[in-house]
Amino acid sequence: MTTRVLLAEDEPNISTSLTFLLERAGHEVKVETDGDKALETALSGWPAILVLDVMLPTLDGYEILRRLRDDTRTKNLPVIMLTAKGQREDRETAMKCGANLFITKPFSNAEIVDAIKDLAAAVSE
Amino acid sequence: MVTSILGTRIRQRRREVGMTQVHLAKTVDISASYLNLIEWNKRPIAGSLLRKVADALDISLAELDNATEHHLSATLSEIARLPTLSALQIEEHRTNELIGRFPGWARGVAALARSERAAAARVQVLSDRLNNDPFLSETMHHMLTRIAAIRSATEILTDYELATDRRAQFNAIVHEESQALSKVGESLAAYLDKAEESEHALKPVDEVEALFSARANHIAELEDAAQVLSAQVSGPRPHARMTHARSLAETELSPLIETLIGEQPEMDGPLAEARVRRALINYAASAMVMPMSEFATRAAALRYDIDALAEVFSADIESVSLRLTALAISKDVPKFGYFCVNAAGTVIEMRSIEQLAVPRYASACPLWVLYRAQQSPETFIRQRVVFPSGARFVFVARAVHHGAAGFGKPRHYQTVMTAMSEDDARKTVYAPDPNTSVEEVGPGCRLCPLTDCLHRVDAPLSD
Repeated sequence: MTTRVLLAEDEPNISTSLTFLLERAGHEVKVETDGDKALETALSGWPAILVLDVMLPTLDGYEILRRLRDDTRTKNLPVIMLTAKGQREDRETAMKCGANLFITKPFSNAEIVDAIKDLAAAVSE
Repeated sequence: MVTSILGTRIRQRRREVGMTQVHLAKTVDISASYLNLIEWNKRPIAGSLLRKVADALDISLAELDNATEHHLSATLSEIARLPTLSALQIEEHRTNELIGRFPGWARGVAALARSERAAAARVQVLSDRLNNDPFLSETMHHMLTRIAAIRSATEILTDYELATDRRAQFNAIVHEESQALSKVGESLAAYLDKAEESEHALKPVDEVEALFSARANHIAELEDAAQVLSAQVSGPRPHARMTHARSLAETELSPLIETLIGEQPEMDGPLAEARVRRALINYAASAMVMPMSEFATRAAALRYDIDALAEVFSADIESVSLRLTALAISKDVPKFGYFCVNAAGTVIEMRSIEQLAVPRYASACPLWVLYRAQQSPETFIRQRVVFPSGARFVFVARAVHHGAAGFGKPRHYQTVMTAMSEDDARKTVYAPDPNTSVEEVGPGCRLCPLTDCLHRVDAPLSD
């Protein structure tokens, strides 16, 4: 099942690997490397799932998520927060902002691929 | 509760001068059995009888009723009740006997306990600094990101059949990220070396912060005592009311304030002690002018509007800003930090909050509104900021006139700034709307990783 995944990630080597993995899993992937563009693409209605890094240039992941949840078009868009910070308060902030899942770096490839698969299945139901 | 050790002192002195219990009892005209009860601290002694006993033993009242020993007794009782020592079944009821019979040992135990508390407090301060250190936070972020890239690429190389060019691409990622990780590791090691070299004793402003921080900025004993005195505060204007309240605090609450200072782990010198005393007097005065029960209700109703609260309580901006930091911690109440700087930009008082690194020393970040509010005195300026760690805050600063006013006199300003996390700001009148611009700031050049900042005046420690 092909799912359109928007990857908001400013680390090129991580987005290269994730793009490879998700495309191999049969998904269509678009990468944005700054917060403003990621928000614009998410609001455009293109993605079915958003993988969102917390620390992005111009607009951080939490703020993007808040704005998406405030918009009727994207208030239910499945979002996986991706961050190198794994402290409890970061997880709480992500969940409070409306994240569906929170994955910390360094993650295993299987963790990401399985998460996308689960969310994609939930979206299609 | 501190019990009297006068009886023990009387017994000790009587033995020193070689007088029998019967002889002393006869001299002061009481029965020997009653004197025995006094000597074992089972009956109180005061007034004329105490004076007669002191005369008979040829010792001054001050020497008999020694305030230092009362404090020692309180300290030892506190040690005896420590939960960590409960298994030892320390005989707290014999504390005064210990002081009376073995004063050196008693002082030694108290000194050891003070030293242990001081060490624990220092560890806590260092641990807080470590947790809130933006450089470490940034470095940790870099390390984890590099490791994530290496792990992901390595798993791909292991788990997938790849064409030659693809394999080369992921090999290059592993190579590049490994080198970057190595550099991050080196800069972390260099930073920790320099941090160790530059570690120094706490400054007076740190001592004040440490005391308030240990109590979550809320001193219940002073709140209770100030509430009782609040009806006595008079004066039509903020300055007069605070002056009167400070004077009341100095005269009426001095013993309590001295006890609080005494409970503090050893401080670095008289300057630190004076700063702590002044901060406690100011706290008590603010608690009188703005009793907490009423202040908390009004503050919530006015959405923590500092100006409006100053009007309601006829208080000055500085006191209201500081008072906000004393609000009891709860999920519905914003957590406020407070900073006050003089015209030279030196932090003279602060109550910091989680994740907000503080520019205490040289090369503070000039981009904080704290340092530019003096360009527009007596006006509130709001600033929405993001730190390199990604933490977001809202700052509200105002430069206020400090000192005597009058024609021809120079006007000196201090800037007071209230800080709150952006999440907490949403509960206040200072909530930024989503379109409010966010300014990138740092904690101070030495700790700031934003290497391309135009305002940098000092190299980061990692260089």
